[in-house]
Amino acid sequence: MEPLFSPALHIQRHQFVVDFVRGKKPKKVVDLGCGECKLLKKLRFHHEIEMLVGVDINEAKIKRYMHGLAPISTDYLQPSFDWLSIELYKGSVTQRDARFKGFDLATAIEIIEHLTPADVEHFSAVVFGYMRPGAVVISTPNSDFNPLLPGLSGFRDRDHKFEWSRAEFRSWALRVCSEYGYEVEFTGVGEALHGHHDSVGFCSQIGVFYRLTASYPPNTLGDDEDVFSYTLLYHINYPSLRDNNTLRRVLVSEVLYQAEQLKVRWIEENSGGRCLCQTGGEMKELQIERHTEVEEKQEGAGAEEDQVLQTSRPNQQDPLNRYVTVPLSALWLHCPKIKKLSGSLVNLRHLLMDEPEVRLSEDGRTVLVKNQEEDQEGDLDFHSEDDGFTEVSCCSTSFEQEEDWEANV
Amino acid sequence: GNVMALLQISAGFQQIKLGERGGHRRDFNDFGVNTRQLMEHVKDSKCGTSGSPIQLTANFYRILSRPQWVLYQYHVDFKPPMESRRLRTALLYRHAEVIGDARTFDGALLILPRRLHCKETVLYSETKSGEKVLITVTLTNELPPTSPVCIQFYNILFKRVLRLLEMQQIGRNYYNPKNPLNIPEHNLTIWPGYSTTILQYESSIMLCTDVSHKVLRSETVLDFMVNLRQKCGNQRFPDACAKELIGLIVLTKYNNKTYRIDDIAWDHTPKNTFTRGDADISFMNYYKTQYGLDITDVNQVLLVSHVKKRTGPGGGPPLGPAMLIPELCYLTGLTDKMRSDFTIMRDLSENTRLSPDKRISRLSGFIEDICGNAGVQEELKKWGIGFDNHLLNLSARVLAPERIFQGPRSYDYNPMSGDWSREMRGIPIISSPPLNDWIMFSTRRNSNEAQSLLQTLGKVSGPLGLRLQRAVMVEYEDHQESLLRALKQNVGPTTQMVVVVLPSNRKDKYDSVKKYLCVDCPTPSQCVLSRTLSRPQALMTVATKIALQMSCKMGGELWSVEIPLKQLMIVGIDCYHDISAGKRSIGAMVASLNQSMSRWYSKCVLQHKGQELMDGLKMAFTGALKDYLKFNNCLPSRIIVYRDGVGDGQLHSVVNFEISQILESIKSLGQDYNPKVSVVVVKKRISSRFFAMINDKVSNPPPGTVIDTEVTRPEWYDFFIVSQAVRCGSVSPTHYNVVYDTSGLKPDHMQRLTYKLCHMYYNWQGLIRVPAPCQYAHKLAFLVGQSIHREPNIKLDNYLFYL
Repeated sequence: MEPLFSPALHIQRHQFVVDFVRGKKPKKVVDLGCGECKLLKKLRFHHEIEMLVGVDINEAKIKRYMHGLAPISTDYLQPSFDWLSIELYKGSVTQRDARFKGFDLATAIEIIEHLTPADVEHFSAVVFGYMRPGAVVISTPNSDFNPLLPGLSGFRDRDHKFEWSRAEFRSWALRVCSEYGYEVEFTGVGEALHGHHDSVGFCSQIGVFYRLTASYPPNTLGDDEDVFSYTLLYHINYPSLRDNNTLRRVLVSEVLYQAEQLKVRWIEENSGGRCLCQTGGEMKELQIERHTEVEEKQEGAGAEEDQVLQTSRPNQQDPLNRYVTVPLSALWLHCPKIKKLSGSLVNLRHLLMDEPEVRLSEDGRTVLVKNQEEDQEGDLDFHSEDDGFTEVSCCSTSFEQEEDWEANV
Repeated sequence: GNVMALLQISAGFQQIKLGERGGHRRDFNDFGVNTRQLMEHVKDSKCGTSGSPIQLTANFYRILSRPQWVLYQYHVDFKPPMESRRLRTALLYRHAEVIGDARTFDGALLILPRRLHCKETVLYSETKSGEKVLITVTLTNELPPTSPVCIQFYNILFKRVLRLLEMQQIGRNYYNPKNPLNIPEHNLTIWPGYSTTILQYESSIMLCTDVSHKVLRSETVLDFMVNLRQKCGNQRFPDACAKELIGLIVLTKYNNKTYRIDDIAWDHTPKNTFTRGDADISFMNYYKTQYGLDITDVNQVLLVSHVKKRTGPGGGPPLGPAMLIPELCYLTGLTDKMRSDFTIMRDLSENTRLSPDKRISRLSGFIEDICGNAGVQEELKKWGIGFDNHLLNLSARVLAPERIFQGPRSYDYNPMSGDWSREMRGIPIISSPPLNDWIMFSTRRNSNEAQSLLQTLGKVSGPLGLRLQRAVMVEYEDHQESLLRALKQNVGPTTQMVVVVLPSNRKDKYDSVKKYLCVDCPTPSQCVLSRTLSRPQALMTVATKIALQMSCKMGGELWSVEIPLKQLMIVGIDCYHDISAGKRSIGAMVASLNQSMSRWYSKCVLQHKGQELMDGLKMAFTGALKDYLKFNNCLPSRIIVYRDGVGDGQLHSVVNFEISQILESIKSLGQDYNPKVSVVVVKKRISSRFFAMINDKVSNPPPGTVIDTEVTRPEWYDFFIVSQAVRCGSVSPTHYNVVYDTSGLKPDHMQRLTYKLCHMYYNWQGLIRVPAPCQYAHKLAFLVGQSIHREPNIKLDNYLFYL
């Protein structure tokens, strides 16, 4: 059978939700009947979302697919400022769970047609009356479209309890709206070819419900107690720079790296590629050179940047301990990533203050970077041993004769 | 007869594949190469006998299952046939009440931990569209724990376990990204992790697991490219970029796959489009809509990765190359440049090197995590298996240290350090050609260092038994061209040795010296960094090493050990793979020419694309035999080939092709020439580790430790030798697999001979990790691959000029 739709209809349905998310930017999203977690897998890439939750009645299915929602290697490698936590529950959409309140968006993609009419009522009460998300996207087959599906008699899936016409869906949706204080827009995905669209509509009809802020939730279930009827199966927090430990770790790495880079560049510029481990006299010369260079640059740079330029180059201090001092202000100014991570210079200093890996000067204004002497290397691995050749006692060559190896064939 | 039998070893081997998802899986464990069965003399036992016993702990955990535990293998048939594997799986899994929730199904093959009621179970399912499907589940096999499918199953199951522990898979290993180790100075991140393999080892099925570290870069490929462009300028950028990047592995921001960079698409940017469904979409748009990823640099060039032999959806034609966006890719591993950066490598090894006790505690922590995780235990329980909670203990033997001979004198070395640089002081080496005509080149700035080197060489040469005339000193300007000019003007046909003092370790100067003196004007040469000579207190030691190195480059013989086999030729083979695109592999072969293993014939061949290594080395092999004949007036009656550089999963090609080619080259010397031949595959990069308790402290096993039980493979004639001593970290054992052997040598003698050969590498006054010919071959291939890029001049064949 040739596919009727391209991209496939289920992909179009998910794309509809993705587009909705990109437009409305909800922070907390729940997918009701998440099944193989495919929609969740797509949604986790969208930075707007901070909390992504799925629930499905089929525990085995969730367990089989849940690991696909784990952060990928690069999420750990370079954490972002996004915050994302994912939770998966086993549970029925006809039952209430207090943890599902307060969402910005709930989706129920091709779910309601699997429910008995009585359960649809429960579903409406739970989703619209109890959870009361800001928006709800519900998709369900449009039976008006069925005549265009080749070879189809009856429902599209054996498990479907009903397939609604556009009118039936509409009347249910409007009833839900008036009962729970929502408004609805109708749309869909999967358009019919050859201008049939107006007569049959979309293959999958979609209702997008928005909560009316003015209206109050009618307390239909008359019970204020928190219920937890779902079982948590999976929970993961994505690494995020909003987590202070992660932020510090990333910042420290970046600061040390950039300080090292500045140091190397400075050494190259100032010593013409020669290594710096020399007497104080030569040090002085370098310092003087550096100053004149800075002064020259200052002239061209304009007054406003004076302060910056003075500190924008690493200073060589303390030649005995061989530390290069790199001003924090230089790092902050020249490294966009450090700027972004720390926000302000004050904050940068504050964040680095208690880090054992970063050596700050006493006034907290500069980072001290070890200016190591280049190590010995080469294709020969020399040990530094004492000299002088000690005579090795001379041994005779006669020692126990080996047995004859040749003989054993 | 042997060749024929050999060809059949793996002809009957059909790998039974149990793919969990997505078909093609390479066999890295060389499963199904059964070489031992053809070697009568090791059928009953492949164990050695000599040495003193030692108790070791190894990084292996036994897999435990109750007695008579089996897995049940079923064939699943669908009527009407269902094309989609996903659909087949879904239809079958609906019958959880029948098949249970412990199951592995690859679309046709179902594995369950229990026997179904009937031999044939018929199930009915319906597709979404109401199509009725008849599913027949037929029991086809009871799999004992040792069956290949079962072993494969264990590995699949263990991957699930690692996922439950929230480890990230990169390549073949699993890593824990939650405790990264940063080396910020070099922008490196290291993830600790584990390599794991479950296999049938000598007596039981075990999990072999070692600590592994993944080196990652916390910068994107784009960051890297921008930096590089800044450093080398626009003009040199494309070349430098290709050189640094091609061959590296990247991770992407949007999936967990790794890609190898095969090329750079200089004419592509993220604005280019590709066809998706019916429509064209730009890369920028695609990543934005699919993954919410913004590409900020719209002019970056793209990376190309030739996705391996994977077919398109529905078994269609292979997908084209993958185009990758540098901004969305992270580099893993090290570039060649970083690898040659001493400080990076030092900092890395400081962070990743684990002492034996630390390694053991990491390994124990891993098994504790496995045993302590409820989800993992539930999964394992479903299948009725578990892991031993302590590391494997086994007994091994320590071979006696060798006695080192230098002419009429001999001495012992400290068996724990495996080093005799101290012991050999003041003892003349076996022989060295007198050095009468030689030149030392240096820059004006380094003339002091050169002078003091010359003087010290004079001082140390006497006690070593080297006769040394004064060298001609030549100064050169600190330019590559000037140095080359100086070489051309001064090095003549009678020059025996050229010493060049280099002011820095810039590779280009070294390369041009070696290129000229190995190819155009064949002369042994010795390069020395001026920095190496800068510390007066180390100069004696340095000069001694240089004197020894110079001597053996000219054919000098330093020391020997007792080799109880006569008319023996030892051959070492290794190869060097240039990872950058289009470059070819290099094979090197080194063969002994005399009884004391002090003279070697060395040959290096550049391999053409698609050519097998041995095609090129066949000529070298006959060349070696002819030279042996010249040296000894007879052909060797025994040939033992140590083949290094065989990658995981390549053993079958050595067994199926290389051995017969080796035998052919031998035959080419005469139909009645029938030497005894052994071929030993040498592997350095293995995950087996051994620990010994020495003075109540977890330590490395001493040099000479031989392991030939428990952790070897039943289908091979194999053993491990710990032949070196390391000063810090855990020692790596070397694995030896005798894949062909008509020598009839006892395993004990094979092991001891191998260990003896680890004493014979003249560039190191101590024990090394592999037999000397392998290390020589490695050195040669490396020099040619890194510096010369051409076959060395044949006049150098009988010298260790590449040391």
